[in-house]
Amino acid sequence: MVRVMVVDDHPMWRDAVERDLQAAGHDVVAVAANGREAMARFPAAAPQVVVLDLQLPDSTGVQVTGMMMEFDPTAKVLILSASGEQDDVLEAIKAGATGYLVKSASSAELIDAVVRTSEGEAVFTPGLAGLVLGEFRRIAEGPADDPRDQLTERETEILKMVATGMSYKQIAARLVLSHRTVQNHVQNTLRKLQMNNRVQLTRWAIEHGLDQDPA
Amino acid sequence: MPRTDSAVAVEDRLHAALAIVRVVVTVNMVGLNAYRRDNFDHPRTGLAIVVALALWTAVAIWLYRDRARRTPPLLVADLAIALAAMAVTPWAKSPDFHATIPGFWVMGALLAWAIHWHWRGGLVAAVLIAAADLLPRTEVDQGNYGNVFLVLIGGPVVGFMCESLQRMARERDAAERAAAAAEERTRLARAVHDGVLQVLAMTQRRGAAAGAEWADLGRLAGEQERSLRSLIRQQDTVAVGAGDRVDLAGALDAMATAHPVRVEVATPGGAVLVDARVAEETVAAVRACLDNVLAHGGDGASAWVLAEAGRDEITVSVRDDGPGIDEGRLAAAEAEGRLGVVSSIRGRVEELGGTARVESGEWGTEWVLSVPLA
Repeated sequence: MVRVMVVDDHPMWRDAVERDLQAAGHDVVAVAANGREAMARFPAAAPQVVVLDLQLPDSTGVQVTGMMMEFDPTAKVLILSASGEQDDVLEAIKAGATGYLVKSASSAELIDAVVRTSEGEAVFTPGLAGLVLGEFRRIAEGPADDPRDQLTERETEILKMVATGMSYKQIAARLVLSHRTVQNHVQNTLRKLQMNNRVQLTRWAIEHGLDQDPA
Repeated sequence: MPRTDSAVAVEDRLHAALAIVRVVVTVNMVGLNAYRRDNFDHPRTGLAIVVALALWTAVAIWLYRDRARRTPPLLVADLAIALAAMAVTPWAKSPDFHATIPGFWVMGALLAWAIHWHWRGGLVAAVLIAAADLLPRTEVDQGNYGNVFLVLIGGPVVGFMCESLQRMARERDAAERAAAAAEERTRLARAVHDGVLQVLAMTQRRGAAAGAEWADLGRLAGEQERSLRSLIRQQDTVAVGAGDRVDLAGALDAMATAHPVRVEVATPGGAVLVDARVAEETVAAVRACLDNVLAHGGDGASAWVLAEAGRDEITVSVRDDGPGIDEGRLAAAEAEGRLGVVSSIRGRVEELGGTARVESGEWGTEWVLSVPLA
């Protein structure tokens, strides 16, 4: 049983997701219709997984993800989005979300994704893998003194397979690796992406003199 | 063309600047007349005229400040006072005077006409001022000619420039409005699209769960959802395309959405700009891969397209989950001269100086097309 919080401004979706999760035996400990409600209820509800819509009326899913990670770095955020605005998805992942699913996914896929997210597994769609590959490619071709981590060859290879729709099981079989090893590689790519984001923010702060005490 | 707010704002600024010019030329006028007070045949009348002109200047500055008061009667009165002061000069000074009483002070009225009625106003005021300056004179020397010449040139030129400034302000406003409207449209469209996508996704989900005819409805909703999502993605990058370079990611998305095989497209995010010919041939090669999936992949085979963009080359991978190609079958077909798939995929890519590799296994068939960016 996973303790889940559902944040979505469409009641239709909130109810459907809640019903599906409860039917599968999970515990929906809180729901919220906007960012303000989400942040007010998140500390007390202490969910294992937050299922979060990217488009909220008062703030973005990216902001809410950032705030949740700041409050509790062990929180797991699964982005559930209808439109899949590419930039927003990538930003939410950089801010600390560990999974992304489009709303047209079936109930079974959603429940599977929630369980995997709660176990610390990264939930990728092919689209997200393509975006992450693109992001690392931009880092690799950027300035040489860039302190940000790059992907290893193996990680790139696995991410390409995810981007062409292969399951972890298929990837494990094709590369003759264990299922667990494939999972670890995929998780590593997200960890690097999030670490890089922090490096970038820190560097930005230093460049703008924000690390110094106000005189 | 109706006067828009921005054009009137420009006029406000010009009149504010003119107020300063008026003060300067008034101080100049008072000073010069005081210095040459011996030239007056009727000093009292001369003093009265100078005082009257100075007072009118103060009144005019106040009147011109409000755009509602900048009416033709004010402009006509302004110029009439200047002309009258010039006309009485021979009598107040002497018939063989050198400078008129107002002198350069007439500039105030001239520039006001130029600001308000543009080059035509500037020209009319300049001609009247020139006539008022020349007609009372018994003889015209080089200095008089020079002054009149400058007035006749300056009036229309300043008027023309005022008109240009106002037009530029109007055009800038129109451009800003157009940009704001486009942004607002995109924002509204985003909200509408999000709502439609939510409903389509929900229909698809519920339909699949309910089965029977509802499953068909769900499947249709799914197709529409994919088309709309692809359309939104293309719309996001359509403005980026410049010259004969086009967005390969958008083009692949558009082709894949229209293709009968169920395809999911992964792109690096943002536009992938390449030459139109590279985009066209690459898309055609990918389409040939998908056609092949349709022909050999069996019913219900799905395909995935991954586009990657490097600095020197683009790579497009196309994988399907069909039964795979028998080992050596492609090579055999090629050897026998039955080039079908091979020529349309490999041929197109090699034409662009790239390479096409194919791999097959239990996990399906994968084409990897690499095209260098010259």
